[in-house]
This record gives sequence, C-alpha cells and structure tokens, in this order.
Amino acid sequence: MIEVKNITKVYNGITVLNIPKLSIKKGESFGLVGNNGAGKTTLFRCILDLIRSNTGEIISEKLDVSKSSEWKSYTGSYLDEGFVIDFLTPEEYFQFLANINGLSKGDLDDFLNDFKDFFNGEILGKKKYIRDLSSGNQKKVGIAAALIAKPDVLILDEPFNSLDPSTQIRLKKVLKKLHDDANVTMLISSHDLNHVTEVCERIVVLHEGGIAHDIHTEKDTLKILEEYFAV
Amino acid sequence: MIKWFIIHQWKQTKRSTIFQKNVVVNIVLGFFITIIFLEFLIGGGYLGAEWHTIFPDDHPVTKFNSILLYYFAIDFIIRFFIQNLPVMSIQPYLHLPIKKSSIINYLLSKSLLSIFNYFPLMVLIPIAIFQVSVAYSNMVAVVWIISVFLLMLSMNFLLVYVKKQLVVNAKIVGFFGLFIVGLLVMDSYGIISMANLSAVVFDELATNPVMIVIPIIFLIVIYRINFSFLKDRMYPEELRVGKAKKVDAISDIKYLKRLGQTGEIIGVELKLFLRHKRTKSILYMTPLFLLYGLFFYPQESYQDIAFLKIFIGWFITGGLMYNYLNFAFTYESNYFDAILTHDIDMHRYFKMKFVVALAVSSFCFVATIPYVFFGLEVLLFHAVMYLYNIGMLSFVLLYMATFNKNRMDLSKGAAFNYQGMGASNWLSMIPAMLFPVLLYVLFDWFGLPYLGLAVISLGGILGLLFSRVLIDYLAKQFLSRKYKMAEGFRLR
Repeated sequence: MIEVKNITKVYNGITVLNIPKLSIKKGESFGLVGNNGAGKTTLFRCILDLIRSNTGEIISEKLDVSKSSEWKSYTGSYLDEGFVIDFLTPEEYFQFLANINGLSKGDLDDFLNDFKDFFNGEILGKKKYIRDLSSGNQKKVGIAAALIAKPDVLILDEPFNSLDPSTQIRLKKVLKKLHDDANVTMLISSHDLNHVTEVCERIVVLHEGGIAHDIHTEKDTLKILEEYFAV
Repeated sequence: MIKWFIIHQWKQTKRSTIFQKNVVVNIVLGFFITIIFLEFLIGGGYLGAEWHTIFPDDHPVTKFNSILLYYFAIDFIIRFFIQNLPVMSIQPYLHLPIKKSSIINYLLSKSLLSIFNYFPLMVLIPIAIFQVSVAYSNMVAVVWIISVFLLMLSMNFLLVYVKKQLVVNAKIVGFFGLFIVGLLVMDSYGIISMANLSAVVFDELATNPVMIVIPIIFLIVIYRINFSFLKDRMYPEELRVGKAKKVDAISDIKYLKRLGQTGEIIGVELKLFLRHKRTKSILYMTPLFLLYGLFFYPQESYQDIAFLKIFIGWFITGGLMYNYLNFAFTYESNYFDAILTHDIDMHRYFKMKFVVALAVSSFCFVATIPYVFFGLEVLLFHAVMYLYNIGMLSFVLLYMATFNKNRMDLSKGAAFNYQGMGASNWLSMIPAMLFPVLLYVLFDWFGLPYLGLAVISLGGILGLLFSRVLIDYLAKQFLSRKYKMAEGFRLR
C-alpha cells in the first residue's frame, strides 16, 4: 500500500530522517513511536507530500505521492491545527469537506451520527468557530474530518494527546473498528506506549531519523518498548 | 521589574520573525520613515516660521490656537483607526509574584512610545519658537508647548481607554464617536464655533500661565481612570480584544454551490475575509479605493499630469485586486496544510484565485463607471488599466505570490501591518505601478499618448487570450513552490 524508499531529509546539514526501506501493507495498523525529534512528524509529512525529501520516494498504491495527487482521494490525515480551517464552525467545515469529497447530505448525516458519541455533545450545535474550541475539541474535529471521506489510509499524529480519557477510549474503539471492519490502513504516532500497543499490530521505533525497531505486536511488546525507552 | 519588562519586550520585538528575516522590508520601511520624518521636519519648520504671513490679518497665535481643538478631534479619529493598543502579552506574568500595578504602569507607559505623540511636535515646536515666544514671551512659549504636549498625551490615554471600552461596552464608544462627529457637524453649520472656543481656551494659557495645571490634572485623571479600569480587568479573557465572537450567519450562497468544488473554495475564502480582523479592515477600506478619484478628478490642475492618470486608473480598478493577490496564499497560511492534503484539485484551487481577482477587479471597474462624469477620458483610462490589471498584472502577482512564505496573523488590523509581507510584496509594486506608468509616460513624451494606452491594453488582452496557458504554467510553478510555502507558513 505505502512504500517508503530511500527517504532522507536534511535540515541545515543534520539528517532528521533516513529510512532506506519501509513498506506498510494494506489494512495494516502501523504504530510509530519515538522521542521528540525522532522524525515521526517529518515522516508523516513526507508521506503526505508536505515536505520535499532530499532523496528517495514514497509510493502509495503504485504512484509516487509527489507526482500524482491520486492518494488524496483515499487518504485522510490530521497532524496538527494547521489541518483544520479554524474560522469555520465545525458544521460548516464538515459541510465543506462533504462537498469537496462529493458526499450527499445523507452521507454527511450518517457520518455525523456515527461520530455522535465521539463528539460527546461538545462539537455540534455549539455555535462556535473551531478556533474558539478547546484544543481537545479541535482535535476531535480534525480526527473526524480525516475520516469523513471513508479513507483507505488514515494518518494521525499523536491523536491521543490532549483528548480526555473517555474520548481516548472512544477513539481506540473507532480505530479498532476501522481496522476490523473497513480494513483501513492506519499510520498512528504516539508518545503513549499503552495506547499504541493496544491499537496497532505493528510498531516501528524511530531514533534519530532511522528505524531502530520494527516489531509485530505481541503480549510482551509493551514491556520491550518500555525497556527500550527506559533511561 | 520594569527593567525586565523592557528587556523582554525588546527581545520580543527583535526576535519577531519580521525583523529577523525581512531585511528588504526593514530597509524600505526605514527609508520611507526617514523621508516622512524629514518632510515633516522641514515642512513644520517652514510652517512655524512663516505662519504669521499666511494669515496677516489675524493674531498669529490666536489663529493657531483656534485650530487646535479641530486638530485634537481629527487626531483622535485617526488614532482610533490606526494606532495600535499597547499589548504586552501579560499572561505569562500574571501568575508570577509581580505587583499588578507595575504591570499596568508598564502597559500604559508603553503606549506613550507611539509615534502619534511625537510627530506633531515637529510643527508645534517651531510655532512655539517663532510665533508664541515672539508674540508673548519665552516663558509663555514654554508653558504653551508643554500644555499642548500634555494634552496630546492625554489624548493618547483617552484613546487607550476608549479602545478598551470597545471590548467591554461598545455602545459608549459609539456615543462618544457620535459626540465628536456631532460637534464637528454643528461647527460646520455654524451652530457652535469650535474655533472661537479653541482660541479662547488656549489664549488663556498665554495670559494666565498658571492654567498649565489644567492639562496636568487632566492627564493625571485620565491616567488614573485607565489604571483602575485595567486593574479591575486583569484577567486575560477580559483584556483580550477579540473575544470569542458570536457565530455569524453567512449562509452558503446558492450560486457558488452550482460552481462545484471551485464554488466551495470561494465560499470558504469569503468567510475567511469576513471573519478576520485584518481582512475585514481591507474590506472597510474598499470605499477609500473606489472614491480615491474624487481627490483628483475634480481638480483641473491634475488633469494634465500623465502619470497620475495612469496611477489613479490602476489604483481604482486594481488596488483591491492587488491587495488580494499579493497575499493570495498567505491569507491561507493558517491552514495551508489542509488545502494540500485534502482532495482538492490544485489546478482548480489555483485558478480560483484568478477568478476571484477577476471578479474583484471587474466589480471595481463597474462600480466606478460614474466617474465618466469627469469626462470620457477618465473612463478610457479606467478601462485600459482594468484590462492591464486583469490580463497582465493578475498573472504577475499570482507568480510573485508563490514566493511569499511568511505566515500571516489575520487577527491583527491591516493598517501599518507589515507582518506576512515578504520581499516579493515590495517587488510586486514594480509591475503593478511603475511599469504601466513608465510605458505611458514614455509614449506621452513622444506625443503618442493613445498609442501608449493601446499598447498597455493590448498587453492585457493578450494575457486574457492566453489565460489558459498562463494559468497552467503558473499552477505548475505553484506546485513546485508549495513545499517551501508550506514550510514557511508552519513557522509560528
């Protein structure tokens, strides 16, 4: 599904990302962990064609993401606040995305209905612009927006951060359901080892831009990771 | 404590992205400021020295005093729209063991640094030296200049108060504005005479120098009012100028819906303009752009100046478009990543910018057709410059806009706001203004003004004919620049 080939990114003479080969299969739930500055967000930005890498290429469904924009039609993503249009209300923003993606009114209603629990009554009908929502609620909007077009690939950067405990649990449910029922390929980064081992079947540890570990999640994975990150 | 405030403030200014990155902007700004400063210095000195010859029949000081009240009224109105409030983001200091009063004192005294408090001195000091001290005595001149200066500082604090009230109680500000305008209107109909009042009040200073205590008391009182007002409202959410606003009801425009994805994006762009301070202040300035001609066209003496005719034609039909295209992508710096990752056709997105520019310029052209009242030639110049704007300038600006990668904070006003401006924005003035003006002046010089107009409009027509090719080319350029732009926009 997604092939990373010889990707390097250099900022001011420092290599922040160097991945010779990484392939993510269709339907795989892929977790990315690593300390600050390990290159998680940079890798995601490269996959989303937001950064021009110094070498290499990223292939999504056989097409180079920097040469074709085909991937946009089946990839949903939320990395940071820059991914939402913050002067719209959540309703306006979802409506906008629905129209962009060619969803009918029924599709949109179904979607909003599915996310009712996830929103926990704090998003819709509040008569607030997204910029005036709390950061946790902004994140809810961003994650939901990433899912609106029923993507085959979902990319989330630290989705559990700044969400309240209930929403974290709901998000995990949502992600598991996407994995089991819709066979969505998921790329999720997290600082929370518990969450990521729970949701992802494969975990890659990044260190200084390179892959330090590539593990299939099993019972003792959490322990291995905790040992790896222990100081 | 104040020392730390000043150090932090200095660092904040010095480290703000605009000062660090934009050498060009700083040089150009510095150049303009120096020129304006010199002009005021020379003009003020001249006016002060020659004032008594302008109105030989009147007592020079009384005459000057009679305009002071008008000056304060107009000064206040201008300040209201342009002068920025002293903002020091006080939030990081509130939880520290610092006395509230020192924070407030610093905040207030910072407003004194505004250039508005000092520029008028370049006229007032020469008046004091050459007029007041001659007519009365040196002592009176000193009293006079100090009093007027103190009043100016009072105006400064009055403004701070009024602007803060704007957040708490907008109605009071409205009444206050009506009061000032009402005074000016009544004065112009001769119901009251502000000139007489002004002359009497300020002449009193000359005959009775003890009166200097009045401006002193006034200054202290207005400072105390500000102080206690701020002291009661030291909570960040109350100090914030832009509170969480109520959601407006811009319903989606049916016509735009029919345009499909392009219409959707235009709809968002509309909301962008209506929901941010910076873009809104551009919209408020629209009448200024459109009515600009009224300053020039009624005056015979301007009608033979070749370059002015081109310039005004450009400004009226293209000024707004220029403003829009210069920051075509910068306006969206906040959510540029969203545009790049959602399933938006980049080619169409790019074309949309051109369509909006076309619509804006066409609106300006049509709305200003009534200028034909000042002669057919005016309309001809407008039409030529309109063609140039939409057919040539638009493409050049779109090209240059892809080089601007400075993030823009839309919650600040537009006047004197250079944030988000890059070198490309200054460079773009060359094709925008200089090029057509020079071209026309050149043809005019050889006695072929109409050929000049034909050449300029031909450029526009050719651009429109090849618009498809040009947009294709520019969209490719945009796509190759997008990484650099996105990277710059991400820097907060």
